[in-house]
Amino acid sequence: MPRPTLPALTRLFTRVGITVFGGGDPTIAILQREFYRREWLSPENFAIAFGLARLTPGTNVLAFCAATAWYILGVAGALAAVLAITIPASVLVVWITRAYDLTAHYRLAQSVANALLAAAVGTMVGAAFLLVRTQCVGKGNTGRWFRPAAIAIGAFLLTFAKLTPLQVIGIAALAGFFWTES
Amino acid sequence: MNVVVLYLLLVKATLTSFSGLASLPMVRNDFVVRRHVLTDRQLNTAVAAGRIGPGPLGIYVVSVGYLAGGVPGACAGWLAMITPAFLIIPMVRFLGRRAEHPRARSVARAVLCAGAGLMASAAVPLARDAVGNPLSIGILVASFVLIAAARIDSLWVMLGAAVIGVLAFQF
Repeated sequence: MPRPTLPALTRLFTRVGITVFGGGDPTIAILQREFYRREWLSPENFAIAFGLARLTPGTNVLAFCAATAWYILGVAGALAAVLAITIPASVLVVWITRAYDLTAHYRLAQSVANALLAAAVGTMVGAAFLLVRTQCVGKGNTGRWFRPAAIAIGAFLLTFAKLTPLQVIGIAALAGFFWTES
Repeated sequence: MNVVVLYLLLVKATLTSFSGLASLPMVRNDFVVRRHVLTDRQLNTAVAAGRIGPGPLGIYVVSVGYLAGGVPGACAGWLAMITPAFLIIPMVRFLGRRAEHPRARSVARAVLCAGAGLMASAAVPLARDAVGNPLSIGILVASFVLIAAARIDSLWVMLGAAVIGVLAFQF
């Protein structure tokens, strides 16, 4: 496998961080194509990084970037990749937030903001639905969708019993430990 | 708000969630319900701002940090977003293929599903704030369908909503 230089690796992650919209899945898809095209990463290491990123707390795609860049260039690569993919996008999100604040008193801006807020809630619920659906492997088998759906609905209902999110996650982890998929 | 406290609260949320927006219930619990640093509307604004730009879905914590503590707060939010990512390096080094153990995968999947349930429950109070007329109800339902069924990129959903907002103002 050819080893890229640190600036070359940083350039790739910066470009992907600025140009890819839609969250983690499109980002991983683009990075996969770029790694294979440049022969920077083996399919085996890609698979391990992809699998472990799902088990890592926080934003999965950032863990994926850290792991793949660590395989390519060690700790310096991991650090450069995570900084490169997050800093430009973070600056942009601060600007967007500022634009919201500065234009909040204009009626046109209020109308746009209200529409965006309603859409944000709709996409949140849609994202929650998709998260559960990705865990329902093997469609048509009742046992395969019952467990993810039961845990998601259980977590939803437990929040109304005044449990904190941390407590709900703890209960879900215990359920996952003892209630394994057959 | 003190930047260190802000970082600790946000990193607590990111360290206990397993996908971008799954940290939202804990962020809401700490910032809106318990400490009253933000309103539901501001939290909703942060989510919307995070979805308009490029980058991961979890980037909304940068916006939360900015709204709670200005530019230093945004830096704290950014640091809280990236901190958990580095946990994968010792995991790759020491666990490698052993992470494929069925019980480890089962726990991760259960936590992910619980995160989805928590995300849906966090959307309830945000919806109360965001939905005030039939048009906003229509936008919310259409956004859900486009994301869940048609799997359209959320950027297009947000841009479509913005266009509807402009048209609603004109007419």
